[in-house]
Amino acid sequence: MRIGFLFVSAALILGGFFSLMAAAYALSGFLEGVGIEHLGIHGLSGIGVIAVVMLGGVMVLSTLLTMAERKWSALIQNRVGPNRIHLPIPGLKDNALFGLPHIAPDVLKMLSKEAFRPKAANKFLFDLAPMLAFGPVFALFAIVPAGPTLDIFGHRVMMAVASPDFGLLYLFAIASLAVYGTSLAGWSSNNKFALLGGVRASSQMISYEVALGLSLVGMMISFSTVRLSGVGGIAESQAAYLWSTHIGSLDVGLPMWGIFIQPLGFVLFFAASFAETKRAPFDSPEGESEIVGYFLEYSGMQFGMFMISEFVEVVVLSGVLVTIFFGAWHLPFGNEALQQVQFLRDYPILMGALFGTVFWLKVLALIFLQLLIRWTFPRFRYDQVQNLGWKILLPMGLFNLFVTGALILWDPSLRYLALFGFVVIGIFLFLSLTPPRQVRLAEAAADDHGGGHGHGGHDDHGDAHALPANTH
Amino acid sequence: MAAAGDEYDPTPSEDELESHLQTRNMVVNLGPSHPATHGTVRLKIELDGETIVKMDTEIGFLHRGFQKSCENVTWTQVLPYTDRLDYVASLQNNFGYLAAVENLMGVVIPERAQYIRVIGSELHRIASHLTTAGALSLELGGFGAFLYAIEARELIIDRVTELSGARLTTSYGRIGGLNRDVPEGWTDKVLKSLIKIEELAGEVEGLMTRNRIFTDRTRGTGIITKEDALDFGFTGPCLRACGVSYDVRKAKPYWVYDKLDFEVPVGVNGDNYDRYYLRVLEIAQSMKMIRQAIAQMPQGPVMVDDWRIALPPKENVYNSIEGVIAHFKLVMEGVPVPPGEAYHATESPNGELGWYLRSDGSGRPYKIHVRAPGFQILSGLGRMCEGRMLADLIPTFDTINMIGGEVEQ
Repeated sequence: MRIGFLFVSAALILGGFFSLMAAAYALSGFLEGVGIEHLGIHGLSGIGVIAVVMLGGVMVLSTLLTMAERKWSALIQNRVGPNRIHLPIPGLKDNALFGLPHIAPDVLKMLSKEAFRPKAANKFLFDLAPMLAFGPVFALFAIVPAGPTLDIFGHRVMMAVASPDFGLLYLFAIASLAVYGTSLAGWSSNNKFALLGGVRASSQMISYEVALGLSLVGMMISFSTVRLSGVGGIAESQAAYLWSTHIGSLDVGLPMWGIFIQPLGFVLFFAASFAETKRAPFDSPEGESEIVGYFLEYSGMQFGMFMISEFVEVVVLSGVLVTIFFGAWHLPFGNEALQQVQFLRDYPILMGALFGTVFWLKVLALIFLQLLIRWTFPRFRYDQVQNLGWKILLPMGLFNLFVTGALILWDPSLRYLALFGFVVIGIFLFLSLTPPRQVRLAEAAADDHGGGHGHGGHDDHGDAHALPANTH
Repeated sequence: MAAAGDEYDPTPSEDELESHLQTRNMVVNLGPSHPATHGTVRLKIELDGETIVKMDTEIGFLHRGFQKSCENVTWTQVLPYTDRLDYVASLQNNFGYLAAVENLMGVVIPERAQYIRVIGSELHRIASHLTTAGALSLELGGFGAFLYAIEARELIIDRVTELSGARLTTSYGRIGGLNRDVPEGWTDKVLKSLIKIEELAGEVEGLMTRNRIFTDRTRGTGIITKEDALDFGFTGPCLRACGVSYDVRKAKPYWVYDKLDFEVPVGVNGDNYDRYYLRVLEIAQSMKMIRQAIAQMPQGPVMVDDWRIALPPKENVYNSIEGVIAHFKLVMEGVPVPPGEAYHATESPNGELGWYLRSDGSGRPYKIHVRAPGFQILSGLGRMCEGRMLADLIPTFDTINMIGGEVEQ
């Protein structure tokens, strides 16, 4: 029963992604055709991508994530999680459906609550802030390609809304806009706690942009491009192999994924972008037990906008990470073989959907990783966040940049870079798998009050001296 | 500003360039209802940026008139009020109060009762320490460790429920011993629970003790020196974390603590990390004590055989005149505590829980004063936090484990 349910849900997820991407390709191909043939303009496929991939993929995934966060955190914490709402449908009455029906009342509650605004708050800025917090985050996904560029209905269709030449720079530019939403929210609420949160958020987000940018320079110079999608972009370049061989018609080998050639860059970018999303352990702007957060005065859907933008951030960040470091939509091996399959060549929509599913599955895995981190670690202190950014991530980013540059000069095929990457991965594994050195232990001073201590006859109980105590 | 008539000098003076931006400190209220102030307390904080310049602790939101209430009831009826002092470890308060009264009366309770009191006390010490460690993690943002800790505490509460019939308001024990013996098979259940608790406490520790973020947040924050701690009157883990080895169980052993083999861990720095880690070590020591006590516990009565103190058995009450009279006098007049005064202290999870009792021989307390350990420690909170960052207040407030019930009585 339980295993059957798991199969059904896995099939649902796969089928959902597959049909989503098939729809995206079909609609984009159709729109591109309409644009070129009737209006004489290129690039209408972007509308299809916005409609299906961003609204249908990113937004739905973020909405589901509100529930996934509660369910997965429950898993981590040994709880059951939300399971109270049952749909009155025959056959499903006794099934909580993983708590999914909870999403509906959550949204209804948000929408139907009074949008309270403090009297002394600045009306315009107060209303503007949630939009500014949400907008840039959502727009980030525009340059992320969710699938390969294919010929659909005779027109080239790109699975990204835009493929500008400045590629990653768009990412940095738009990501830095998100700070306005949070700092304005803190500032305009006219609340001391919110102000503190806004100040913390803005300083944290601004200082992490440096490390964020620097950590990606290694990838940029590896592929000598800043573009994500399109021919020669980072996404497609990663399909190439560092070392490869063929088993029959199947090509296997080590792909040029960012995680292999730039593991340090990945860790730095992951940490920096985690800080940009302001989620735990970098959630000191929110710090619900200290200052409650920059959105303290918001209620109803305005608060909901802040919350949902956080979840959108998680999805978008995973998408960006997959595109830059995990080979975008490519499988680790067998890409060439798959592209030669005649059936898929005849139906490019299916091929696109197949690769798109691979992309979303990777995104899902990274989302889970992010939630795992979020529910495991406590929160940094405000100044420790700055220390980490400026004193650790930034120098490491510089180091990574220099080493990468030198190794690429030495060997343009990137193989030495990959070897260096293995060394780095090895170091990370060593550091995380070896037990840390003994923490400083509270020493037990000789107990000078202990009259009557350690009577004879009880020694058989007292031999568990694993504790750092030397009372005797 | 140049005064009117002065010639304007365009070159700025050195002072003008060096002077800082004129700012004002911000005053914020943490509490009385704020997520960090569990237990209602109001912290008036003057902030310079993120740094605490001045801090006032204001208590009184949970004041219940404990002392006055006690003067109006018999000595036995005080017991339910003591549940509400340190509600995380109510058995400790029950037994502490009873020990003080017995001390004033000069009554020695049966050995089995002493062992059960030790077991109950140590169980609740583990519960309290787990709650503290869990809440610390919770407020630093690690929700997982909190729930693991609470799961372990739940096991203890289950055992306490089997013992006393209530989860929190235990009211267990009577003057002269205990109102009833442990249920059958209870000690085995305790031993089994301990294994599970050890496992869960290990999870909590694994999530926190060596976590770099956690150690960064707690090490070197909320420091108080040994001298300051002694001046403020700190006791318990907060004092021992500063390096003073003072534990009432060792300094002035009561019940059967002198027959148990345990150690008193002592810290070095008096910071939040030491206070946290000390509690982790004390959990292990308490478990050791419980295991020893269960192994050593003799059979026998749990109540003194004296009808002036203990209620007579029901068959005597119904069938003999002596029984009826003893029962009547105990219920109507209370336990005859001789006139006099006494101070007696036990080691509660937060420190020295002292009871100053005064009796005028009337069967009701003339005066009861509780030296709740949390009060002195809370008064030192300002010293620990002033000049530090706002974010440091949170772990500090957690590790001192302020319990509103005992601080404000």
